[in-house]
Amino acid sequence: MFKKILIANRGEIACRVIKTARKMGIATVAVYSEADRDARHVEMADEAVCIGPAPSKESYLVMDRIIAACKETGAEAVHPGYGFLSENEEFARRLEEAGVVFIGPKHYSIARMGDKIESKKLAMEAGVNTIPGYNEAISGPDEAVEIARKIGYPVMIKASAGGGGKGLRVAYNDKEAHEGFASCVNEARNSFGDDRVFIEKFVVEPRHIEIQVLGDAQGNTVYLWERECSIQRRHQKVIEEAPSPFLDDATRKAMGEQAVALAKAVNYQSAGTVEFVVGADRSFYFLEMNTRLQVEHPVTEMITGLDLVELMIRVAAGEPLPFAQEDIRRDGWAMECRINAEDPFRGFLPSTGRLVKFQPPDESEGDVRVDTGVYEGGEISMFYDSMIAKLVVHGATRAQAIARMRAALNAFVIRGISCNIPFQAALMSHPRFISGHFNTGFIAEEFPKGFDATMVPYDHPAFLISVAAFIHRRYMDRAARVSGQLPGHERKVGDDWVVLKDGVQHLVRALPIDNGYLVHYEGEHYEIVSGWRLGEPIMHGVCNGEEFTLQLERHGMAYRLFHWGSQVDVNVLTSRAAELLALMPAKAAPDLSRFLMSPMPGLLREVAVAQGQEVKAGEKLAVIEAMKMENILRADQDCKVKKIVAAAGESLSVDQVIIEFE
Amino acid sequence: MQDIIRQLDEMRARARLGGGQKRIDSQHRKGKLTARERIELLLDPESFEEWDMFKEHRCTDFGMAEQQVPGDGVVTGYGTINGRLIFVFSQDFTVFGGSLSEAHAEKICKIMDHAMKAGAPVIGLNDSGGARIQEGVASLGGYADVFQRNVMASGVIPQISMIMGPCAGGAVYSPAMTDFIFMVKDSSYMFVTGPDVVKTVTHEEVTAEELGGAVTHSSKSGVADLAFENDVEALTMLRRLMNFLPANNREKPPVQRTNDPAHRLDFSLDTLVPDNTNKPYDMKELIIKMIDDCDFFEIQPDYAKNIIVGFARMDGHPVGIVANQPLVLAGCLDIKSSIKAARFVRFCDAFNIPVVTLVDVPGFMPGTAQEYGGIIKHGAKLLYAYAECTVPKVTLITRKAYGGAYDVMSSKHLRGDVNFAWPSAEIAVMGPKGAVEIIFREEKGDPEKLAQREAEYKEKFANPFVAGARGFIDDVIMPHETRKRICRSLAMLRDKKLENPWRKHGNIPL
Repeated sequence: MFKKILIANRGEIACRVIKTARKMGIATVAVYSEADRDARHVEMADEAVCIGPAPSKESYLVMDRIIAACKETGAEAVHPGYGFLSENEEFARRLEEAGVVFIGPKHYSIARMGDKIESKKLAMEAGVNTIPGYNEAISGPDEAVEIARKIGYPVMIKASAGGGGKGLRVAYNDKEAHEGFASCVNEARNSFGDDRVFIEKFVVEPRHIEIQVLGDAQGNTVYLWERECSIQRRHQKVIEEAPSPFLDDATRKAMGEQAVALAKAVNYQSAGTVEFVVGADRSFYFLEMNTRLQVEHPVTEMITGLDLVELMIRVAAGEPLPFAQEDIRRDGWAMECRINAEDPFRGFLPSTGRLVKFQPPDESEGDVRVDTGVYEGGEISMFYDSMIAKLVVHGATRAQAIARMRAALNAFVIRGISCNIPFQAALMSHPRFISGHFNTGFIAEEFPKGFDATMVPYDHPAFLISVAAFIHRRYMDRAARVSGQLPGHERKVGDDWVVLKDGVQHLVRALPIDNGYLVHYEGEHYEIVSGWRLGEPIMHGVCNGEEFTLQLERHGMAYRLFHWGSQVDVNVLTSRAAELLALMPAKAAPDLSRFLMSPMPGLLREVAVAQGQEVKAGEKLAVIEAMKMENILRADQDCKVKKIVAAAGESLSVDQVIIEFE
Repeated sequence: MQDIIRQLDEMRARARLGGGQKRIDSQHRKGKLTARERIELLLDPESFEEWDMFKEHRCTDFGMAEQQVPGDGVVTGYGTINGRLIFVFSQDFTVFGGSLSEAHAEKICKIMDHAMKAGAPVIGLNDSGGARIQEGVASLGGYADVFQRNVMASGVIPQISMIMGPCAGGAVYSPAMTDFIFMVKDSSYMFVTGPDVVKTVTHEEVTAEELGGAVTHSSKSGVADLAFENDVEALTMLRRLMNFLPANNREKPPVQRTNDPAHRLDFSLDTLVPDNTNKPYDMKELIIKMIDDCDFFEIQPDYAKNIIVGFARMDGHPVGIVANQPLVLAGCLDIKSSIKAARFVRFCDAFNIPVVTLVDVPGFMPGTAQEYGGIIKHGAKLLYAYAECTVPKVTLITRKAYGGAYDVMSSKHLRGDVNFAWPSAEIAVMGPKGAVEIIFREEKGDPEKLAQREAEYKEKFANPFVAGARGFIDDVIMPHETRKRICRSLAMLRDKKLENPWRKHGNIPL
């Protein structure tokens, strides 16, 4: 076995690999860019080597530096994680030449699976179902239309070198095929420097289901069941689970066996994933093979009880797989939510900055697992992927897994940056998700205009009202214990309160009990007990015998409660104050339409208009760069520029005014 | 006897109605509560003890003799906020527009005199059209009687003004002499001369709200300390503030026991100060994380944001926090921030509230605007305030403490009791770049050499150890133990005794 390995990655996956290596008694070397000097993976590893400036092109993607770091530290093997150099054939080959073991498949396996057209041919030869389509390079739009007709609409036009949703078009007729081909070629050329495009059958109500395979150098190959990854937003996976709520045993077995056949065909010697698209009729077709460890591998680990990283390391060290296909368990249900630094209420724009608070839910062996590469007080930089944590749960059944996930999301405290927890919580309580009847179009169909907090159904408002009364009474009782009171005229806090929520007054009575309050509301009793300390952003407690967790903030008079993805602002007042507050005028929110404000923190790249300029709706106003992405801000309506407030090159915070209109 | 009682009930009912239901409705329509409603919200339920309910004005001119409303436009008395004694007057706009008559002023003076004797705060809820013109000089005399009492009470009992309606002309000077002025957005304004006079004299067109509204005074002029959305919010938040303040200058501020452990560590603070010394960070995060229960009552949050001031508790005991804010103007001191902080420090000193100072200051703001504006004298106010201050002073330098600004910000030399520094602290005459450009002036043409000199300077001075070697810093502490160390220092200083020499009064550079 290796004595020391290097992890050529960052973030949660680097930390996750280090954990397993440590368990196996293997010393670890981290590599890091200048932006990651204080990162968690650097802290966790036994040694760390700086490999260049913040942009990954100058650090995590520079093979020479990583190979040099291996030499320098005496690392015998490299785990590449996912992304970066994990599926780079040249990297695997160069490591081999340098006498360092690549903890992954052989370079020739990567090469053969790396090209979409090539891999599809290989799959067909190996007896794997492939989507009816045309696998040769296509000369022009006219040929594209011809081919599309032959396959039958709808068809998908896809860049050969594409991925992550780039270079992909769906056509339902000749016109769309003609246009789609042209734009796809353009995009492919610009994005990948490779304008080859192919066309294939478009599967209706497709689900994305993938098979985890594992091979060793001795020629043993097994499959570790499937993962359902259909919950995607713009082709980015959001929730993954294992097993799939859709597959039956026969389909599962057929898919697994085909995946193994494909892996064998390329002499695959590591962990890999064969992706399939599965139609409503359970027909399944090969999409591609990912020759690396997947982000979502923990769900497989949760149901099989295996450590995939450990197995990758063992196989890379030449050990044979310690089990056969029939030994592989499939227990219960596992689910993973990707926690991203993005603002779900602002079109999922990336969010960067300091993690003022970061308190993941408590992990518990086999039930709740948090993989993360960040820590409270750390910085989310704009240079890398926005995923900051993976929240993984396991339950005996799918329903139990969902319940655990909902509870875990309630307990996940992140402040300082925005994150997608409210959105994840909304998905977890969505009836269609709960039913298991969904496909890859789920998010686009259910949230066509994006997401806002009002979309989250909240099924127990009485609970929130009672908790609000609890919180307020606890604040009041503490304030009433202040020193210096007139003897005999001490403050007595009343029991009756009005909880004001969405303009509606709710009468409650909160009576002190041991470590909590008994709240009466609309004829019901809510016995709430909690050790919650004033000022804490999270509250664990028991309400009528049932455990709960919610988050809160105090803004002036109001309390903002976060629970199950909902966000509710409440005021708690005496009945007299509520009566008088009702006399106060409702003030209209300030007119912000006269301003262009930065929707995210980032760098103002360009202001595309000048003072006094007339602008038409849809015209480009400014460009903001955040997390490597350029975001173009356009005019909502026709307007005239009154003043340019921010200058190009300036760092912007959220809601900072860029342009003022007349 | 029965008749008298019936008569009393009738008189009370009439007094409670103030200017009558019609005017009460009109007050509500303007988004304002009545004088009595406001008192109800401010004080503990049923704690209000009203005085002079039947007091009437004595004016007979201009037909005023026929117009008598018991109480004469102001409700006065005392009550409690969280069981603690408070004197209060609340002007009643429904009665003669809340205008101040001689009798009205006498009522205010009466409760102020009592507050002084009893040693309890006075809260004024201002909603008045100004002087009672019909009374002429009698009314002006009334104002001055109040002013004189404001000054006598200053530094003896806390005085708080809540502006909840108009407050113009001479009327502004009573609130101006109190410790804090709060305003309600859209329904209150304060100015010496109103928009009409402004238009005639300077030809400026301006609305009352723009000229002297809550937003103007809380963000532009600094006259107001806080602006609230409405009467209910204003009074609720005022109750919260009062829990931090002692009743008078002979008393320690009120203690409120907390479950927040004094020895709580917060490791996220270890990464608060960025490696790059030119990168800003939010000082409020440190404040929130080191105080009890995240409960910070900020004063003047929208004015001179380069310095943060406000009240909090540490281990249950109130403290005043003064902190440079690197997020705004790099946290430098300028005219506005010096005045803002100086006034706050003097309030704390007057009322036995320990001052915790968090320092990250690159110096005083340069420029003609500042020099012409008199930064020398205004900066000196803050220096004077800290130097004069005898309450416990705990100072923490988080990063920069450069030049004269280092001295000013509660340094050891100004009788700082405990002076801490984080390892990231740089205590020096100026930043490394500026320093080497002066010391090695002759090498100016050689950027390479200068860079090397800068590195040398940084190595030598950009740390807390030089100051530590001289005893200007008592200890270099880890950021994560900030709360623990400051709480312990404050506990050690709880019975601190220090007196300035007797004098009639100092001569602060006004």
